[in-house]
Amino acid sequence: MSVLSKLKETLACLKAGRVTLPYPAQPLHAPERFRGRPIFDATKCTGCGGCANVCPAREILLFDKSQEIRVLEYLGRRCTYCGRCADVCPEKAVTMSHEFENATNSIGDINQRIELFMSTCQRCGRCFKEPAALDQLKMKGYRFDDVEQERWVFRSESYFENEPVVDDIKIEWD
Amino acid sequence: MIARDKLNLLKDKFGPAILRADLPDDGRLFVSVEPSAIRDICRYLFGDLDARYIISIGVDDRPFSGKFLVTHNFAFDAEKLLVCVMVHLPAENPKLDSITRDVPAANWAEREIRDMVGVEFEGHCYPKRLVLPDGWPDGVHPLRKDFAWNEVPKDFEEEREFEFDEPPAGCTVVPFGPFHPTLDEPAHFRLYVEGEMVRGCEYRGFMVHRGIEKLAESVLNYNDIPMMAERICGICGCVHSVAYVQAVENAAAIKPPPRAEYIRTIMLEIERLHSHLLWVGLACHIVGFDTLFMQSFRIREPVMWIAEKISGNRKTYGLCLIGGVRWDITAESRAELRAVLDKLEAEWRPLVAAVLKDRNIQKRTRGIGIADKTACKRSGLIGPVARAAGVDIDCRRDHPYAAYDRVRFDVITSDGGDVWSRVVVRAKEVFESIEIIRQCLDKMEPGPLQLGIEDELPVGRLGLSSVEAPRGESHHFVITGENNRPRRWRVRAPTYQNLQGVPAMIKDQQIADMTISLGSIDPCFSCTDRLETIDLKSGATKIWTEGELLKLVRTKKA
Repeated sequence: MSVLSKLKETLACLKAGRVTLPYPAQPLHAPERFRGRPIFDATKCTGCGGCANVCPAREILLFDKSQEIRVLEYLGRRCTYCGRCADVCPEKAVTMSHEFENATNSIGDINQRIELFMSTCQRCGRCFKEPAALDQLKMKGYRFDDVEQERWVFRSESYFENEPVVDDIKIEWD
Repeated sequence: MIARDKLNLLKDKFGPAILRADLPDDGRLFVSVEPSAIRDICRYLFGDLDARYIISIGVDDRPFSGKFLVTHNFAFDAEKLLVCVMVHLPAENPKLDSITRDVPAANWAEREIRDMVGVEFEGHCYPKRLVLPDGWPDGVHPLRKDFAWNEVPKDFEEEREFEFDEPPAGCTVVPFGPFHPTLDEPAHFRLYVEGEMVRGCEYRGFMVHRGIEKLAESVLNYNDIPMMAERICGICGCVHSVAYVQAVENAAAIKPPPRAEYIRTIMLEIERLHSHLLWVGLACHIVGFDTLFMQSFRIREPVMWIAEKISGNRKTYGLCLIGGVRWDITAESRAELRAVLDKLEAEWRPLVAAVLKDRNIQKRTRGIGIADKTACKRSGLIGPVARAAGVDIDCRRDHPYAAYDRVRFDVITSDGGDVWSRVVVRAKEVFESIEIIRQCLDKMEPGPLQLGIEDELPVGRLGLSSVEAPRGESHHFVITGENNRPRRWRVRAPTYQNLQGVPAMIKDQQIADMTISLGSIDPCFSCTDRLETIDLKSGATKIWTEGELLKLVRTKKA
C-alpha cells in the first residue's frame, strides 16, 4: 500500500528530528587520527629529507642554499593530506594537525619554510643537522684529518654556489 | 586447473598463433598471440566461450622490447579466471584488426588506445576521437614514452570546438551537459530527439582527463600512486587504491599480512555503505523524492564519521601501501564501528521496507533505462547495472581478493534490468556489506599491518586486479618497471563500460527519463559555452563568448 509507505516514511523523518549541526556557529572537533594541515617543527627537524622523498604531490621541497644552510619548503597548494611525511619522519618533526579550516586567498597562510643550519658529515661530506644546540655551534665545513700527526683538523669552507643546487625549484610567491 | 583448460582450448583451435603463455596462478592467464589471429581469438573467447570483456590496454613498450603491446582482457567470472590476450606490434606504423565487430564493448578502449598510444585499429565500427580533443594535433600520442608528462604540443588548438555527427533526419538536437544539474562532473550528450522521444545520442567526454596514468609511469613511484589513485574518484577512492596495490602485489607475487587484508575489506565495505546510501539518495533526488534523499544522507553521515575516526579522513582514507595498510582498527574503533553498523541496520531496514512498497517511485523508475542481459554482454556492463538485469557477477565472489574468500555473503540480483531494479539491488546490498564488516571484525586476528619489502620489485611483470567498486568492477593492470615505478598502469573504472550502455538505455524513451537513466548507472564524470550578464540599471544584456570567458578567468587579478 502506497499510503502506508508514505506514512512510514513520514514517521522515519519525524523520528529522526533535527540532525543538522550548528557548525560553524559552534566549532567542530576533529577525531584524534584526523589528518589536517601538516605542521613542520624546525627544532626537531634534522633535514634528512625523508618527507620530501615520499610526498606523492611533490609539495615538500628541499634545497641547500650553501654548504651549511638547508631550506625545507612546504608549499601546501596541492597537498592531499595523506600524512606520509608524518609517517616517515624519524624525529616526529611533522605532525598532522587538526586544522581543517584551511580555505584562504593567500597561499602564504598555508606554506611553511624552515631554514636549517647543517653540519657536514666528516665521512661523506654531506650535510646533516646536529641534534643538540651545543653541537650546532661547532665549526662548519670539511674536516681533513692529519693522519701522520694523528690529529683532528677542521677546515671551514663553503664550496656550494650561493644559489639552489636544484634548478627546477622555481617557487612562485604571490 | 581452469587456466590450463582454457589455454588448451585455445591451443587446440589456434595452434601456431599462440606464441607464449604464462600461468602465474590459478586465477590468471596471459597469452601472447600472433597479431593476425587476434580477431578470431577474441571472437572465440567472447562468443563461443562466453567470456566477459573487461578492457583493452595499449602500451608503448618500445624502450624495452622495441614494440607496441596491446592486450585485450577478458574474465571468466564463474570460473574465477582473468585472461589477458597480448599482441606485440612493430614500432613502425603499428596496426591491428579491430575486435569491435565481434566485441562491441571494446569500442571506447580501442579508440582510447588509438588516441593515447597511436595504434591504428582497422575496421573499427566508429573510429572517432574519444579522449583527445579535436584541437589536438594528429600523430601526437601522450602515452608514448617519448612524450613528456608536462608537454603541450605547440600546434594544440585549445579553443577549437568539437565536431559532431549529423543528427538523423527528422530529429532535433538537445544538448545535455557538460553542465547539467544531475551531472556532478562534465560529460556532453547530444540527444537526438523526435518530439519527446530520444532516438539516439552522441557522447563527448573526457573533459577532465587528468593524465594520472602518465604521471604514474613518469613522475610518481610505487608508494606514491595509492594516494593518487585514491583521487581518481570522489566516491570509490579506496577501491582504486586497493585495486592498484593488488595489481602490483599480483605482479610481484607479494602477499600482504592477513590483518591488512581484513582491514582492506572493512574499509572497502565502509566505502560501499556510504556510496550506496549516497546513490539511493541521489537517485531519489533526481526523480524528485527528496524525503528519502534527506533520510539516506542522514543515515549515511555516521558511516563517514567512523571512516574519519579509523583513517583520519571522511573520504580519502590513505589506506594502502604496497604490501599492507597504514591504519589499524583499534579495539575502541572496533566497538564504535559495531555500534554504527547496528544503528545503520536498524534505521535502513524500515526505510527500505517502506520505499520498496512506495508506488510513486516505482511509477517513475519501472521500465525506465532498461539494460537487459544481452545489452550487458554486448557493452560489458558490470556491477549493480548487470546484477539488476539478472547477470550474476560480483568480483568479490568471482575473483576473490583481500579477505573476501573468508567471509560469507549473498550476491543480490534482480531481473527487471530497469532503474527500479538497480534501486532494489543497491538498497539491499547495504545489508550484505554490514554483514561482511561484522564477520571481518569477528575473524580479524592481531598481527602485522605491513609486510617488510626488502628487495626491489621485479621488473617487467604483469599484474591484474579486479575490485568490486560500489558501481561495478574496477580493473587495474600494471606492468612493473624500473626506477621504483610501474612502466604502465591502466585503470578501468566501472563507469567506463557502463557509460557505453547509456545510448541503448535511453533510446526510444521520453527525454524526461534521461536524467534518471543516466543517474542510475551512477556516472562518475562540468564547461560553459557562454554566459549572459544583465546590467540591472539599463537592462542591457551581454552574451559572453567562450573566448571572452576564458580570457576573463585567466587574467590574474591585481
